Amino acid sequence: MTRGHAVWLLLATAVPGLLFAPVFGLWALVAPVVGVVVACYVVFELSLRFPALQPWRPLLALVAGALALVELALFDTTLSGLPTPTSLTRLAAGVTDSWQLTLQSTWPVRPDADLLLFVPLLVLFTALVGIELLRWPAAAVLPSLVLLLVSQSFIAVSGTVATLVALAYAVVVAGLFISPARSAVALTVGLSVVAGVATMAVPTGPAYSVRQNQFAQVPLPREVSPLAEVAARLSDPDTEVFRYTTDAPVDRWRLVVLDGFDGVTWTTSDRYRRLGAEIGPPTGTTVPTTQQSARVTVPGDGRWLPSQAMPTSVDGTVRPFVDQDTGALLLPERGGPVEYELRWREPVGDLTGLADAAVSSDVPTGDLGTVPDKITQLATTATKDARPTLRTALVLEQYLSENYKVATGSELPTGSGWTHLREFLQDTKRGTSEQFAASYVVLARIVGIPARLAVGYRAPREPVDGETVVRNKDVLAWPEVAVEGIGWVPLDPAGTASDAGPAPTKLAEVMAKARAELPPPNEKLPDPPVAAPEPVDEKRSWTGVGMLALWGLAGTLALFVVVLLGIPVTKLVRTARRKRFTGVRGVVGAWWEARDLLGAHGARITPGMTARDLAAVSGGSVVDSLHRLAVHLDTALWSGAGADEGTVMAAWKAVAEIRRTLAGRSIGARIRAVFVIR
Amino acid sequence: MTKTPGQVYELIAANVQKVVRGKPQVVRLAVAALFSEGHLLIEDVPGLGKTTLARCLARSIGGTWNRIQFTPDLLPGDITGVQVYHQRDEKFAFHPGSVFANVVLADEINRGTPKTQSALLEVMSEQRVTVDAVRHDVPRPFLVIATQNPIEMAGTYRLPEAQLDRFLMRLRMGYPDRASEVLVVMSDRAGVDPDELEAVVDLPTLQSAITQVRAARIEHAVIDYATSITSSTRHHSEVRYGASPRGTIALVRAAQALAATYGRMFVTVDDIKEVAHPVLDHRLILKPEAELRQRKAEGIVADLLAEIPAPVAVTTVAGA
Repeated sequence: MTRGHAVWLLLATAVPGLLFAPVFGLWALVAPVVGVVVACYVVFELSLRFPALQPWRPLLALVAGALALVELALFDTTLSGLPTPTSLTRLAAGVTDSWQLTLQSTWPVRPDADLLLFVPLLVLFTALVGIELLRWPAAAVLPSLVLLLVSQSFIAVSGTVATLVALAYAVVVAGLFISPARSAVALTVGLSVVAGVATMAVPTGPAYSVRQNQFAQVPLPREVSPLAEVAARLSDPDTEVFRYTTDAPVDRWRLVVLDGFDGVTWTTSDRYRRLGAEIGPPTGTTVPTTQQSARVTVPGDGRWLPSQAMPTSVDGTVRPFVDQDTGALLLPERGGPVEYELRWREPVGDLTGLADAAVSSDVPTGDLGTVPDKITQLATTATKDARPTLRTALVLEQYLSENYKVATGSELPTGSGWTHLREFLQDTKRGTSEQFAASYVVLARIVGIPARLAVGYRAPREPVDGETVVRNKDVLAWPEVAVEGIGWVPLDPAGTASDAGPAPTKLAEVMAKARAELPPPNEKLPDPPVAAPEPVDEKRSWTGVGMLALWGLAGTLALFVVVLLGIPVTKLVRTARRKRFTGVRGVVGAWWEARDLLGAHGARITPGMTARDLAAVSGGSVVDSLHRLAVHLDTALWSGAGADEGTVMAAWKAVAEIRRTLAGRSIGARIRAVFVIR
Repeated sequence: MTKTPGQVYELIAANVQKVVRGKPQVVRLAVAALFSEGHLLIEDVPGLGKTTLARCLARSIGGTWNRIQFTPDLLPGDITGVQVYHQRDEKFAFHPGSVFANVVLADEINRGTPKTQSALLEVMSEQRVTVDAVRHDVPRPFLVIATQNPIEMAGTYRLPEAQLDRFLMRLRMGYPDRASEVLVVMSDRAGVDPDELEAVVDLPTLQSAITQVRAARIEHAVIDYATSITSSTRHHSEVRYGASPRGTIALVRAAQALAATYGRMFVTVDDIKEVAHPVLDHRLILKPEAELRQRKAEGIVADLLAEIPAPVAVTTVAGA
């Protein structure tokens, strides 16, 4: 059990710990993980110097690691740097809660200690178990392997990164097996090839993550659904709801998205997560997006906060929960006015051809409950029996806006269950945006268009003094349909979403253009163009064994380059450092150099070997040099005379003789020796 | 002028090697045993010069020496001595046995009965004889060189394993190489007789050398290394009984003496390793299953010497 092995082991422990970087960000993890690893090494070093400490080593490592964590991650809980009961409580919460909070948050999470503590704690536990098993390298590496699997179960790295990580881990693990009698080059190459091939053998596709079904247990507000409030708000039009300041074009604001429908009630999902540092674009969005932001002030006490379809972050005192699929923000324990900075993504770039886009095949169309008679027929008629595309969705929107009236005045219809919708669709044909949107969603779902119901506010076009005030009269319910490559596209069957004027966003502009290009109502829809089959990429047809071999070769080549540069340079640095030693240490440095030189040339080195032992197994012309070196070493170490500069020089002279002798060996042997890790 | 232990060794070794050819290392270790006042067990098949070595060593120092040929009818009194009643003087007088000499050659010790062996072994450890409650000290320096033939079992009494550690070292002569054997034959033809060897060192000089050897410098790290070796024998999976602390003391004393034969007054790790086999091999009692696997104490000691890190006084990161 040497220091070198301990260093390799701690590296093997740190690598999986840092693989949580996609969750927390690399820099947030470096300090606590490195701190814990260094603390473990310090304890290991102390136990070597003071053998009496060895029985206490696991406990000492635990205390030192915990102390390092408190200083590096929980310094705000300390009293002048000294841990307090709060520090211990937070550490305990790191064991019990932090991993759960992380799983319940959007990723990357906010790099708060309360969330990331479990990673350095896992590293600490892995390191101290590994060090206790260091006598058996194969067993010592197992805890770090388990940690590696845990990190991958959180978020799996893939592709080139996975290969590089596997190679790095393989190299570090191989280091654990280095011994004076055994070089680890062959083992490193072997492990690296296995690691490279293994990472490529993993089937492509979405990786499993323990987070998949982990959502925050958010108590959904037991209050009237914003959908049911539409009519009531329209009846009290001038009451302010919220205000915002932005330079970005805003089309509408959403409060909640309802995608569950049992025929009576519209419900929202409870797939809420804690809002992390930043949210990426929703899955399925392939068009380029741009970042927009607005400062929002909400005076009331409603639990739903105004948001956009693709929020990325919320800055301010509030820490809302977010439904990544819908963009809805929820603040369950809100007690008064709030102010926050909302950032979101807005599709930009070339959206031509949007009208011909297909609806998303990955999104289920949604529930309908029991569909009343004749409604299916109505849906088919409204969409001209066309295939489900965005153009068909626009035709359905056009059908509702042309055949139904928006209700105004004091007697506004309410309700969005089948009873109310059937009445709206077949009898009264008059309703608020609530009935328009709900009817649109059910009709779209009937014809196979995935649709959902959003409730929020339209954005007034004219800000006052740079600030836009949203009032009750701006309340709006609208349908959204899932479009391939873009995500959820908002529609406006009631025609009340915007004031007259130019479309505020690129998407709204493209949609307006698509509406204008719709064929007349009595004309059949043209079939959407069939996409040409994608040309088969010859390179991508490489599968199975060929691909594995290619990656194995690439991994080996990458490792070869690392070895080619790294090993000789490390040896040169080490030799230079040894030559700087003085006194007895200088002579010992010379002995180590001779030992490593001969070991690299194939001499079987054991821990118990002395210079004379090495001479006995070396033979040839290095024997005399080794004996001379042994005399200097014995005199320096055991005679009590120490070593002056002349003795150190004489010892290094013997090393130089050995080096010269070895230089006379075959070129193959010399090249092998250069790349042996010793 | 006082001679150094190194010079004393050179004189004795040169003298002994006039007769004992081709075995410089055995001679060195035998002299080291003499310097550390330890007893020597030479074990090997007949005809390899065990007795010759013992006789030459005894002849080379200017002290008294006795040879005891162990046989089944040898009695303890023959070794220790007896009280004899003198009628004329009407009193008992002590007649010392063969053990009263500076060098005692116990030839074929395993042919003696256990009782007789025990008598000698007791004198070896106590360095005195007690007869009728009267103590009689043996002369100093006192060195017992015992020989035994390990292959012949009939009519022999194996030395008790627990008593073997009374011997500082167990040496094996081994067959000579071809050139040395030629020299042995030529010496025999020239009529070189061990009994004709002259003493080259007197007793005071030898006693002075012994005292100097005891004062040889030994660093704590080297003592710690020796202790690591012996304590490892106790925890070895194939060893039933490992070396005792007496074994550790023997290891250090033998290493001090060996260092002196090399002309050094300080002990190195190599000295410890060089005496490890002769000092430790006969002190280990292996487990039966290990013996069934043909494991030998020599192999276990060799493994430990390879595995236990040789100390360097400078502590720094390994592999720096």
